[in-house]
Amino acid sequence: MEIRIKGLTRHYYSEGKQIKALDGVDLTIPANKIFTLLGPSGCGKTTLLRCIVGLETPDAGEIYIGDDLVWSSEKGIFVPPENRGLGMVFQTYAIWPHMNVFDNVAYPLQTSKTPKDKIRQQVAKALKFVQLDGFENRPATKLSGGQQQRVALARALVAEPKVILFDEPLSNLDAKLREETRKELRSFLTELKITAIYVTHDRIEALALSDLIAVMRSGKIIEIGDPKKIYFNSDDKFVADFIGRANLIKGKVEKLDGEHAIFASEIGSIVALNSQKIPVGQNAMLCVRPEFIRLAPEQAAEGQNIFSGKMESLIFIGEAYEGEIRIGETLLTTTIEPTENIVEGDTIFISFDPDHCFLLST
Amino acid sequence: MFKKPTLTTTLIVIVGFLTLCPVIMLLLGSFSQDFVSFGQFTTVKYVEAYTDPDFAAILWNTVIFTVGSALVATLLALFLAYVNTRTDLPFKFIFKVIAIVPMMIPHILFSVSWVLLLNPSNGTLNRLLMDLFGLKDALFDIYTLPGMILVEGLLDLPIAYLIIAPAMSAFDVSLEESSKVCGASNLRTLMRVTLPVLRPAILASAILVIVRSLASFAVPSVIGMPGRIYVLSTHIYRNIASGFAADFGKAAAIGMSALAASITLIYIYRYLTSESGKFVTISSRGFKPTLIKLKNAKYPLFVIVGILSFVLIVLPVMVLFYTSMLPYSMVPSAKAFSMMSWNNWVEVLKDPISLLSLKNSLFLGVVGATIGTTLSIFVSYVIVKIRSTASGILESLSFLSFSFPGIVIGVGFMWFFVRTPIYGTLTALLIGYIATYLPYGIRPISSAFVQIHSHLEESSRVCGAGPFYTMRRIVIPLLIPGIVSGWILMASMFLRELTLSVVLSRPGTEVLAVQILHFAEDGLWGKLSALGIIMIFISSLLVILAAVLGNKLTKMEVVNK
Ligand SMILES: Nc1ncnc2c1ncn2[C@@H]1O[C@H](COP(=O)(O)OP(=O)(O)OP(=O)(O)O)[C@@H](O)[C@H]1O
Ligand SMILES: [Mg+2]
Repeated sequence: MEIRIKGLTRHYYSEGKQIKALDGVDLTIPANKIFTLLGPSGCGKTTLLRCIVGLETPDAGEIYIGDDLVWSSEKGIFVPPENRGLGMVFQTYAIWPHMNVFDNVAYPLQTSKTPKDKIRQQVAKALKFVQLDGFENRPATKLSGGQQQRVALARALVAEPKVILFDEPLSNLDAKLREETRKELRSFLTELKITAIYVTHDRIEALALSDLIAVMRSGKIIEIGDPKKIYFNSDDKFVADFIGRANLIKGKVEKLDGEHAIFASEIGSIVALNSQKIPVGQNAMLCVRPEFIRLAPEQAAEGQNIFSGKMESLIFIGEAYEGEIRIGETLLTTTIEPTENIVEGDTIFISFDPDHCFLLST
Repeated sequence: MFKKPTLTTTLIVIVGFLTLCPVIMLLLGSFSQDFVSFGQFTTVKYVEAYTDPDFAAILWNTVIFTVGSALVATLLALFLAYVNTRTDLPFKFIFKVIAIVPMMIPHILFSVSWVLLLNPSNGTLNRLLMDLFGLKDALFDIYTLPGMILVEGLLDLPIAYLIIAPAMSAFDVSLEESSKVCGASNLRTLMRVTLPVLRPAILASAILVIVRSLASFAVPSVIGMPGRIYVLSTHIYRNIASGFAADFGKAAAIGMSALAASITLIYIYRYLTSESGKFVTISSRGFKPTLIKLKNAKYPLFVIVGILSFVLIVLPVMVLFYTSMLPYSMVPSAKAFSMMSWNNWVEVLKDPISLLSLKNSLFLGVVGATIGTTLSIFVSYVIVKIRSTASGILESLSFLSFSFPGIVIGVGFMWFFVRTPIYGTLTALLIGYIATYLPYGIRPISSAFVQIHSHLEESSRVCGAGPFYTMRRIVIPLLIPGIVSGWILMASMFLRELTLSVVLSRPGTEVLAVQILHFAEDGLWGKLSALGIIMIFISSLLVILAAVLGNKLTKMEVVNK
């Protein structure tokens, strides 16, 4: 089911100051996609999610779930959460400690007065789906973190909602389990053909899991796109910097050349993607990710997209070296294969792939 | 569910009345001549109260008594906490017993048992020692300031221990270890590192004990008054208890200074406990400190701890039981055992006033705790779930009465009740009890509320449940353990209530503890002991229930985190 949000605004007042948790959010979340809200802490992701489920009342705006208007400040419409027919997994999982696994999962069906044997069937199906079959009689207090997360998922899915929402569901798991669960979650959700709205501040989680990512900052959505677009060719400096490690180089657009532009930067002239069509003469910022700064063969001459610099520092981090290269005043971060034969202080040549560095307007 | 602003306001009015009414009436009363001329401003009672030639001595006694008790309780608590957390002493469960069990024995009975042991004319222990060593005079006299300090210190030991032990075990051992690496001995490390770092906890414990002993009435009345040693609480009592010449104006004027001292001390206590986080460095690594090997000191230390727990728990009950079986006090001997009978028990159970007091106390315990718990549920709900300025006011109001000395509040309430038809009824006692002990109900219930993370309710809503269904299936079931332990705590406090009751209880509204005090004043030790054992039995039953339920509650908390 599609979700449409128009001009959604939510203010908080604390200590006499007004905080704009949501600042006129316009958003359409397409049906049957995994849609991620990504942003730094305090940018309003949770608030947006809670407005959609109905746990929070916005100050202004409209929310449609499918064709139903569930919130409108103008028309005075507020559909309470229990009538919105959504599923949600909370950050704390919110497993009720006084019930066993069966009762926890059966709860959404019990509230809708489903017949007993239907409930039993549905619960068994949901538990099988999250690979917890046989756990029915386990008290909820005797579950590991990962198991609690699955119970929460089963409970959110058992009534077969059209939309399911997640608020940082993996943040309470340890790193290894988080990675496994992320993969499982992706396969669960694609299998189900369900609209999933997923809140996280972890960029890797967002990239790995989503069909679409919306990046938020101080109550506003600043960019929406698929993971590759966001990572390789973002339109926004904040997004480019937030989604991964980035080298940002200042300069001016010198000449246009189809998709590309020639960019006069502090370290020299670079050919780069210019999908934003920044006109000639304008100041801009070049963004290149460390993994796309490559070592050039030693005998290479300085030229287009090839520069010489000094290896300032080199740190072994396991799968690679992390290096800092100085070119004039500029320091660039790169990753260097552990097999390379370089030591600190060496003069080296590096090259920029024109298709993997992109210009951002400042 | 509720219209929230009105609920909060209603509660502020109710709790505000309960906590502020006695204080305001005390203040007004202290500026009045007597009940009849209430409201006609006069300072004559202050002049009377504070120019009394005895007053300086009473104040001095009070200072010695409270500070002395604080010293005894805190030093003992420090010793016990250190031995428990830092040494390899065997049978450590005994520390838990020391910390909790003495709370089951009502203070008045604990005091009486020490009188029975150590009074100079026929104290059992004194007589035993005299026979043993052929002495002419009793070795100990309990009716002295040191006697009072000893008993009060032992009574307040659990409070001190409950403050100091957690600080001791949260203490970052690496501070000590680095001192040892620098070449300091165990003792030097203790004196130079451990104790200074724990200073806030030690001070907090001392201050709390001072507040408690300032409010204490059991020890000063049972032990102090026969020896003509008066402290503030008994001085107030003396002014209102002398039947025909009761002077509530003077009592109020004296009470004002006890109240002021108590509030100031609690304020300091709050400040210290909020600061203490900064001093006590809590180790997040969560490893156990290496225990100091006691070697040869192990058994002597164990004997000391064992004797202490015997003296705190077993001895008082034993003495009371022994006394309840005898027609008059005797040293344990073949003759004494041959004279034992249930006579005292039979007499007490036939005595109409004792029976009435038993009935009244049970009524107050059950009905009072039920009303008090209900009020606590609403107050806790507002404090925990509605976070607004008004709920903040309610929170401060509801914990204010914690710092009020009971007898002073009693005098304040008296000034109010004489102007109403409920004067001299059980309702008056009921209101007074609830006002004074409200924090005891609010604490467990609000922690049960805190335990219900808002996500637990919210996820029920998202699952399709309305507010009432959520209340019935999620909130109430999770709250029940907290409610039950709040109820039991209040009921057992009410069952043994003494300080407030000595002021408010009138003929027809006698309660257990007051009846015991009267028996003590008349020297009817046998009957007193029989009634006392009945009281201990009922209230222990309640405390055991509370502990069992509390255990279940904590188990749930752990998992929920
Ligand atoms: N109940 C509240 N009262 C006052 N301010 C609030 C309240 N809830 C949220 N805020 C504020 O609104 C802003 C957005 O909060 P929100 O919880 O939506 O952030 P978030 O993006 O989910 O952050 P995180 O990643 O840390 O969970 C924050 O500045 C927060 O302090
Ligand atoms: Mg959040």
